[in-house]
Amino acid sequence: MSEMIIQEPFYQPVANEVGVFMAAWSRRLPVMLKGPTGCGKTRFLEHMAWRLKRPLITVACHEDLTSSDLVGRFLIEGDATVWQDGPLTKAVREGAICYLDEIVEARTDTTVVIHPLTDHRRHLPIEKLGTEISAHPDFMLVISYNPGYQTVLKDLKPSTKQRFVGMNFTYPPAEVETRIVMKEAGLDESRSKALVAAADKARNLKDQGLQEVTSTRALIYAGALMVAGLESLEACTMAIINPQTDDPELSEALLEIFRTFFPER
Amino acid sequence: MSEATEEILEHLAAISFVAGRDAREALPAVAPLGEEASLRFLETGRDLFFYDREAGKAFFHATANMVAAFAGLDPWLEQSRQFLTQRGTFRAVVGFFAQAATVRKSWGAEGEALWFKLGAAWIDRHVDSAAAYFRMPVATLFGDNGTTGLTALLQPADSLAKGRLGLGTYLDGAIKVRGICGLDGVAEWARRGADVLAAGRIRGEAWFRLESDEARSFLLEVLPGFRMGTHKRLFGLLLQAWTGLHLPLEEGDWSLEGGRSFLETDGRSLFVPAVMPDREEALLAFYHTGAHLAYDSYEQDAIHALFAEIGMEHPPLDPDQRITWRPLFAQFGEDLIRFQMIFDLCEDLRVDVALDREMPGYISRVVRAARKHGLPEGVAAAYYEQAQRYLEDYQQGRLSPDLADLTRSEAGIVDAFRVAMALYATTTLPPLTLTERARAYLPGHSPNAARPVYPRQKHGSDGPEVEGDSALGAAGHQEKPKETPQAAEGNDPDMEIPPEDIQGTGGRVGVGIPLPAKVAGSGRGVKGPKGGWPYREWDYRHQQYKMDWARVHERKLREKDEAKAIEIAAEYDGTLRRLKRALQAQKPTRMSPRRRQYEGEEPDLEAAVQFLIEKRAGRSPKASVYLQRRPQQRDTAVLLLADLSTSIMAEAGDSGVRVVDRLRAAMLLFGEALLEVGDPFAVYGFASKYHDEVLMYPIKRFTDRFDARARALLGGLSGRLATRMGAAIRHSSKLMLRSPAQRRLLLILSDGRPADYDDGGDARYLQEDTRMAVREALELGIHAFCISLDPQGGEYLPQVFGQGHYLVLPHLDSLPARLPEVYLRLRGHG
Repeated sequence: MSEMIIQEPFYQPVANEVGVFMAAWSRRLPVMLKGPTGCGKTRFLEHMAWRLKRPLITVACHEDLTSSDLVGRFLIEGDATVWQDGPLTKAVREGAICYLDEIVEARTDTTVVIHPLTDHRRHLPIEKLGTEISAHPDFMLVISYNPGYQTVLKDLKPSTKQRFVGMNFTYPPAEVETRIVMKEAGLDESRSKALVAAADKARNLKDQGLQEVTSTRALIYAGALMVAGLESLEACTMAIINPQTDDPELSEALLEIFRTFFPER
Repeated sequence: MSEATEEILEHLAAISFVAGRDAREALPAVAPLGEEASLRFLETGRDLFFYDREAGKAFFHATANMVAAFAGLDPWLEQSRQFLTQRGTFRAVVGFFAQAATVRKSWGAEGEALWFKLGAAWIDRHVDSAAAYFRMPVATLFGDNGTTGLTALLQPADSLAKGRLGLGTYLDGAIKVRGICGLDGVAEWARRGADVLAAGRIRGEAWFRLESDEARSFLLEVLPGFRMGTHKRLFGLLLQAWTGLHLPLEEGDWSLEGGRSFLETDGRSLFVPAVMPDREEALLAFYHTGAHLAYDSYEQDAIHALFAEIGMEHPPLDPDQRITWRPLFAQFGEDLIRFQMIFDLCEDLRVDVALDREMPGYISRVVRAARKHGLPEGVAAAYYEQAQRYLEDYQQGRLSPDLADLTRSEAGIVDAFRVAMALYATTTLPPLTLTERARAYLPGHSPNAARPVYPRQKHGSDGPEVEGDSALGAAGHQEKPKETPQAAEGNDPDMEIPPEDIQGTGGRVGVGIPLPAKVAGSGRGVKGPKGGWPYREWDYRHQQYKMDWARVHERKLREKDEAKAIEIAAEYDGTLRRLKRALQAQKPTRMSPRRRQYEGEEPDLEAAVQFLIEKRAGRSPKASVYLQRRPQQRDTAVLLLADLSTSIMAEAGDSGVRVVDRLRAAMLLFGEALLEVGDPFAVYGFASKYHDEVLMYPIKRFTDRFDARARALLGGLSGRLATRMGAAIRHSSKLMLRSPAQRRLLLILSDGRPADYDDGGDARYLQEDTRMAVREALELGIHAFCISLDPQGGEYLPQVFGQGHYLVLPHLDSLPARLPEVYLRLRGHG
């Protein structure tokens, strides 16, 4: 999907990430966004694409993604065969930002096709056409990944990693996160604050069998449910606790934490 | 005075001067009742005196009191004659005269009649029992339930008498049980006790004296209130969430005297009582104690500053390097408890306020619980009320200015001490005893200086340096093994090890003043066995390898227990079936990815279309148009390496479950799951005894089948020796290189940090070596991942295995189900 983003996506900068990205952009260096799920990687990129007025092409990577899924393939059209560009090729030609989301999910032999795009050569060999195309001056490659423990075996090759400018994302500081929840969910300040404070405590349980801790996205969902009229604690249970764990004791502990901030009436 | 009375008086005086004198002194109390009464009185007195001198003395001494309480001689005079019917009842009589007046006054005529009747029944049966009964302080005997309570308390004793159980033994126990769990509990306790008594006299008496484990565990069962044992994990999680601390929860003291149960800490562990009144109070206790830890009540510098206040440069340490609090209070002499209580009031206020800033509504919850609980009796009420009022005043913002000082966020324990000193000078709070003190605390609060503490490091400053030096020595190995650890049987010449060495890391329990680690010399006179594979070891102090330092030997495990394996399989049948079903459900996706093959069972539609298209476009595409549906045998290989050191024989907490029990189950389930998945796998155990004898126990090699033999080996698994992890990892890496696979995973299952007998107490040495071994493995393309049961694993695992390459499972019971699950997630299934 390639789209010009017309309306400004809300993004609340935490540190100098905008500046870093702009600098990388000015030299067209590829960027790697690292961070836990739901902390705003994708949103950040949408925001940057909007700011730079470049189309954004997003590819969600998965195990069966082949290099022709990225680069392109021949299709039959009527009696003729025609070449159809893949999303990566399209971005390279049009000068879009190509975003490979969760790149570790793709097979390593697939990811090597991006190598020539990420160094000074900036070109994409298309094996099936027997050609190489040079990247549009505005083309930029961005990948994201989530270094959780589930990716131990699927870590990126060091040779791939080193081709990128690495930007670390974490959950934003309380004040910023509160503003994000208020803005995104349309929730009042006191409840947004309470949500963020509770999440801060809940995130301490990281090593205790939680694969992912409470994300900003989950907080926004909970806030949205509250705005939609759900009782606060119920909203937290539905949007935060239930999706996070099946372990009854962990759920109870999380519930106890959220209950402290949202006492039942 | 009539002739008859004078005659008796003279008779008494003739027998004994004391008797005559006492009788004369007692007579005026009786004289107003008339001549006949006096005569009756003196006759009874004389009979008692003849019967027993002490009984007679007690009679005359008690007279004035008795006449006043009973307004006459009835029925006590007749009652006292009952004691004459048996020999040797004098102790009972003395008890009777000492207490009858009190009983009459407190429980009326009816109560007194009952009290006497119940005791008198034992005069014929067993004189000692009667004595025990009448000597038992009546307030204790009656308790809070009056005459009906007394009847109920004594009722089981009748049938127990047939089992020849004395009332003395019964009463002591029964009154304690009544204190703990009420009269219903007594009935149940006595009923079970009767069976125990029938089974054996010694065992039975131990039961009634509440000395045996079975009696204790019975009481735990019937104890009213909120049971802590089953909720420990929840509390541990909450403590971690609120304070960021992972602290081990241990079983606290539990007194049979009933009384209040407190959550206590020594700065390193929390001691959890068996029961608390309810869930809310338990939660508040964890929050409050956690707040003490988080807001530095036990922080080293703060404690030093505190002792500096009283002019002591160094707080005194006990042999375990814990700080003892006594000197802090010693200056108050007799008034020690009172000051300590006032200090607790101030310090509790400080941390409660600090916690309330983090945890909205915390103080309201404490106040609510305090109101619900109600004021305790006696002088404790003053303190209880004071503590409650402080919190209420804080809520309403009208705390007095001197106390308000404690609500600043930067206030510390020293401020609390100063405020307490000032308060002590002016307060009118009454002195109190230890028993009263126990009642003086608000719900969830407890004596802060109940135990000597291991001083804590300032929050967040626990760098690796500190770790090496501090108490964390052999974290996971501290528990005392309940079952004698198995001496590595057969090939291991254990005779040469001094016995204390076999107990895991023995002497390292406690803080330990950091000793210069000596890893040079072999640590013992005897060389390890010949042969084996030499491996280098990393010495962080010299920043270099010691070449060929560790020697790994592969040994066969001898113990097999097929029955146990079958038992485990049965126990985990449900889990196993769920696991298999989940795996089967995933099978199609799992088997599909082999696309674009030159041969296969079916055409790969997409590849075939592409092939045709490209062919038509005039190219010469490769004819890889088939799809193979075959398990990806050569994709991921895994070696499960289990720590078989002594510590796995320990019981986890008070659960009665040993680590090894869950370890066996986990490894069996892992094997079964891997069979289903089809990945090549191996299972090894390891242990070590000095650097030249690191033992690897193959349970299933890559080439072996996971069959009955392997299962039996797992069933018979047991712990031995220590944990030299680095060498085991290097050897495993070597084994893994031989297995053909694209991705190799080394899964390490451990319950504590690496340690060995010859690491000189330097926990960091083997930790650093393990870190290097993990790094070397990675260079060989082997990913190491550690699953640890050590609740403190979070402190060192990130450095050793790297962020995201470990998982702490503090909840032992979840291990069997989690192990296969973790593997599948790692390999990319979930």
